[in-house]
Amino acid sequence: MTLVPEAYVVPLTLFSPLVFGVLAWLFDRDWVRETLGVIGAAVPLTVLSLAYEKASSGTISYTIDTGVFKLHFVLNSLSWYFAFIGALVGIAMAFGLSSTSRRGYDWLFSLMSFTGVMGVFLARDFVSLFLFWELMTFGSFMMVLRRNRHESLKYFVLSVIGAYSMLLAIGMVYAKTGTLDYAMASQTLLLLTKMGGVSKAYVDTIFALFLLAFGVKAGVVPLHVWAPGAYGENDQSYTSFFSGVLSKAGVYGFIITLFVMPSLYGIYFAMGTFHGHLTGTYLIAWAGAVTVVVASFLAVLQEDIRKLLAYSSVGQVGYIILALGVFNGVAVGGAMFHVLSHAMFKGLFWLISAALILRTGKTRFEDFGGLAEKMPVTFAMALIAVLSLAGIPPMAGFASKWLIYEGAIQAHMPLVAGTIFLGSALAFAYVVRFLYAVWFGQRPSDLDDVREAPLPLLVGMTVLAIPNIVFGIAPGLAVRLINRFFNTNITVNSYYSISTPTGTYNALSVTLVLIVGLAIAGLVYIYGANARKIKVTNTYQSGNPVTEEYNLVIRRNFYRPLAEALDFWLKYSWDRFYERLANLSEDFADWLREGFYNGNVQSYSWYLAIILLILAIWGVL
Amino acid sequence: MFDWRLILDAIGILIYALIVGFIFMGIERKAMARIQRRIGPPIYQPIIDTLKLLGKKESVSHGFVYNFGPVFALGVSITALLFIPIANFQLFSSNADLIVVAYLLEVPMLGIMLGAMSSGNPYSALGVQRGLLTMVAMQLPYGLAIIALVQHWGTFKLSQLVALQQLQGWSITVPALALAFIVFDIVFQALLGLEPFDIITAPAEISMGPMVEYGGKHAALLFTQHAVQLFAETAFFAVLFFGGASNLLDLFLKQLLVLFIAIFVASIYPRFTIDQAAKFFWKWPTIIGIIAVLLTV
Repeated sequence: MTLVPEAYVVPLTLFSPLVFGVLAWLFDRDWVRETLGVIGAAVPLTVLSLAYEKASSGTISYTIDTGVFKLHFVLNSLSWYFAFIGALVGIAMAFGLSSTSRRGYDWLFSLMSFTGVMGVFLARDFVSLFLFWELMTFGSFMMVLRRNRHESLKYFVLSVIGAYSMLLAIGMVYAKTGTLDYAMASQTLLLLTKMGGVSKAYVDTIFALFLLAFGVKAGVVPLHVWAPGAYGENDQSYTSFFSGVLSKAGVYGFIITLFVMPSLYGIYFAMGTFHGHLTGTYLIAWAGAVTVVVASFLAVLQEDIRKLLAYSSVGQVGYIILALGVFNGVAVGGAMFHVLSHAMFKGLFWLISAALILRTGKTRFEDFGGLAEKMPVTFAMALIAVLSLAGIPPMAGFASKWLIYEGAIQAHMPLVAGTIFLGSALAFAYVVRFLYAVWFGQRPSDLDDVREAPLPLLVGMTVLAIPNIVFGIAPGLAVRLINRFFNTNITVNSYYSISTPTGTYNALSVTLVLIVGLAIAGLVYIYGANARKIKVTNTYQSGNPVTEEYNLVIRRNFYRPLAEALDFWLKYSWDRFYERLANLSEDFADWLREGFYNGNVQSYSWYLAIILLILAIWGVL
Repeated sequence: MFDWRLILDAIGILIYALIVGFIFMGIERKAMARIQRRIGPPIYQPIIDTLKLLGKKESVSHGFVYNFGPVFALGVSITALLFIPIANFQLFSSNADLIVVAYLLEVPMLGIMLGAMSSGNPYSALGVQRGLLTMVAMQLPYGLAIIALVQHWGTFKLSQLVALQQLQGWSITVPALALAFIVFDIVFQALLGLEPFDIITAPAEISMGPMVEYGGKHAALLFTQHAVQLFAETAFFAVLFFGGASNLLDLFLKQLLVLFIAIFVASIYPRFTIDQAAKFFWKWPTIIGIIAVLLTV
C-alpha cells in the first residue's frame, strides 16, 4: 500500500487512461502509441490491486473542487469490485487494440471511455456521475461514428434520451433536496416523503427516469436497439470493453437506484406489492426476463458473428437485470457475480471475434469454416468462452448463473425463473452455432493461409480466460468480495464451495469428479484401437461421394426450423418500429417545412402579422 | 483426507450403473420388438455390441475435437451420475444440488455435438441443429417442472428431496406436482431421444444424425455413455418424483417403471418434425407447467 500513497489512488485510476490516451493520440507512431496506451490501461489495474486492502477494509475518498461543484469520489468495496472488473477488461482491450488498431483516434476515444466508466463507478454524487457518464458515452459514440454513421446516430439518439432523463431526474432530486450527494439526497428525500413534502408520483417519476437512463446503457428491451449496431460496427477489441464494461455501467446505475439510495429503496415499499412481490422490483425482473428471451432468440437467428455476440450481450445483461429485480440476497449476489463472469467471457468472445476479423477480414458465418486447425490457440480460448457462457460447470459462467437460478426460484418467481431456463438453452444453441460455423467443417479455399492471432491479442485473451476458470473453480473468491458490500445470504464454506439457504455447490468436487470421469473415459479411449486420421471431406454420404468443390457445411440459416416456428413473432421488431417512427417524424417535419417555407412572400408577411398579433394579445408589445 | 468408503461406493455404483444401463438398453430393444411382434435381440445384446466395437482393429478420426467429444460426453455423464443419490448411497450428492445435476445431465449432449460437428458430415450437422432446437423447445417445460418441484419442497438438495418425500409421500401424490410429473415425463421422452422426439438421430432420415461418423471405439464410448446416461436420467426421475429409493432393488423397479412408460409412448407415436416439436412443447407442456408452478407458489 505504501507503493501508491492513498491520495493518489483515485486520481490515478480516474485520469491515467485519459492522459495516456491523449498522449497516444499526440505521439501517433507505431510502438509509441501502443506502449502509451497499454501503460494507460495498466495503471488503474495496478493501482486498484495495490489499494485492495484499504478499499476492502475502509474507504478512500477524493474530492475535486471545481469552484462551482465539488466532485466526490469514493473507493469502497462496491466501487472497487466494479472498477477492478473494468480495469481487467480494460487491459485486455488495450492488448487487443495494439493488434487491431493503427490509429491514435481509436486509442484516444477508447481510453476516454475507460476514464468515463471508472468515474461512473467511483462517483459519489450526481454531478460527477453525470459528467463521467457523458464522457463515457461520448468516447464510445466517437468509436462508432468513425465506422458507421447510421448506427452511431441510433446510439446517439438513445443515449441522448437517456442523458436527458438522467439530467431531469437529477434536477428533480436537487430541486427538492438541495444536495447532489447520493447519501444526503437519499436521506432528505426519504424524510420528505415521510413528512409529505414530496408526493409519491414525484418520486415515482424520479425512479422511472433513472431506470430509463440506465436501461438504455444496459440495453434493456425495448431500449436495446442501439446495441447490435454499436457493438458490431466498431473495433472489436474495443467492443470487448464496450459490451463487457460499459453495459455494466447501466447495471451499476440500477444498483445505485436500488441500494445506494435507500430512499428509492423505500419507494419500492411505497409502490406497494403485487402478489407478494414489490411492484417496482417485479417490473425490473420482468424487464430483465423479456430481455433475456427476446435477445437470446434473436442471437440464435443471426447470420453475422458480431450481431450474434451483440444480441448475446444484451441477453446476458438481461440476466443481471432480472436477478437485481428478483431482489433477494442470493439473486443480487448472483447478479454481482454475473457482472464479473459476463465481463470476462464476453470480453473474451469479442477479442476472439477481433482476432477472426483481423485475420480473415470476414464477419458472416457463411464465409468462415474449418479454422480450428489454423488458429489452435484462439480456438482453445473460444472453447473456454463457450463453456463459460453456456454455463458448463466448473466455469465462472455456471457459478453465477446457478446463484441466479437459486435466487429466482427461492423468491417464488416461477415464470421469471422459467425464462432463465429457456435463455440458457438458447445460449447453448447460439454458442454451438458459433463453434460450428467458424471452427469446424470444410474450410473455404480463401481461408487456407490464415495465421494464428497476433501475440498481443492472445495475451489479452489469456488475461480474460484465466478468471473464467479461476472464479469457476473458486466461486467463493468472488462471493467473498461481494459479501463485503452486500449481505447476500450466501455462505462461503471455502474458496471452492458456496451455499445458499436451500442449496449448495462445491465447484472443486465437481471439478475433481469431472476429471476422474474424463480420466475413465480417456482410458477407454486410449486402450482402444489406434485411430487413423482422415480428411474432413471423407465422410459418409449415403453412397454418393461428393467431390470437394461442394461445400457440405450448413452455414446459412442454420436454425431455419426455429425461424419457421417463430415466424409469427419475428414479424414484429422494435428496431423497425423505431425506424418507422423516425421516418414518420421526418416526413411530418418535411411536411411542416414545405407548408411553411413555401417561398411565397405573401404568406411570410402573414406569419409576421400573426406573430405580432399573438405578442400583442399576450401583452408583450 | 480420503474417504475410502465413498470412493468404493462410487466405483461400485459406477459398475452397477454401467451394467444396468446396458440392460436397460437391451430391455428397450426387446420390449419394442415384442410390441411390434418381433422376437428381438437378447437383453444383453448392447453389451456384446459395445465389446465388439471396442475390439475393432482400427477406427477413423477427424481430429482432436472429434476424439474429445465422446470422451467428454462419457466423462460428464459419469460426473452427473456421481452427484445423484442412488438408493441408500449418497455418493457426492451433498456437494451439488438439483440445478447442478440438471445441468450436468444436459452437458453430455454438448460433448456429442462438439465431436459430431467437427466431423464435417452434413448429416451430423443436421443432427446437431435438431438436437439443440429440441433442447431449446423442451427447456421451458422442463424448467417449469423443476421449479414446481423446488417450490413445493423448498429445497434444491437432492438428498433432502428424497428425505422429505419419504416423510410426506412421493411428489406425484401432490396434485400440483402430479401435473409437473406429466410435463417432466413428456420432456423425458425428448431427454432419452425416443419417439415422438427422436428427431435428433432419426435413423431413416438423417442416418443417426450426430452419430453417423462414429465407429469403432468412438461408437463404443458413445454406447457406454448412453448406458450411463440412461441409468442416471431414470434415477434422477425416480429421485424427483418417486421418492428416491431405500435400496437398489427399489430403485431398479422405479427406474424400470419410468423406462416402460417411455418405451410404450415411443412405440405408439410417430416422429415429430422439429418445428412441430417446438410448437408442441411451447403449447401443452408449457401450459400445464405454468399451472403447476402457479399452484405451488
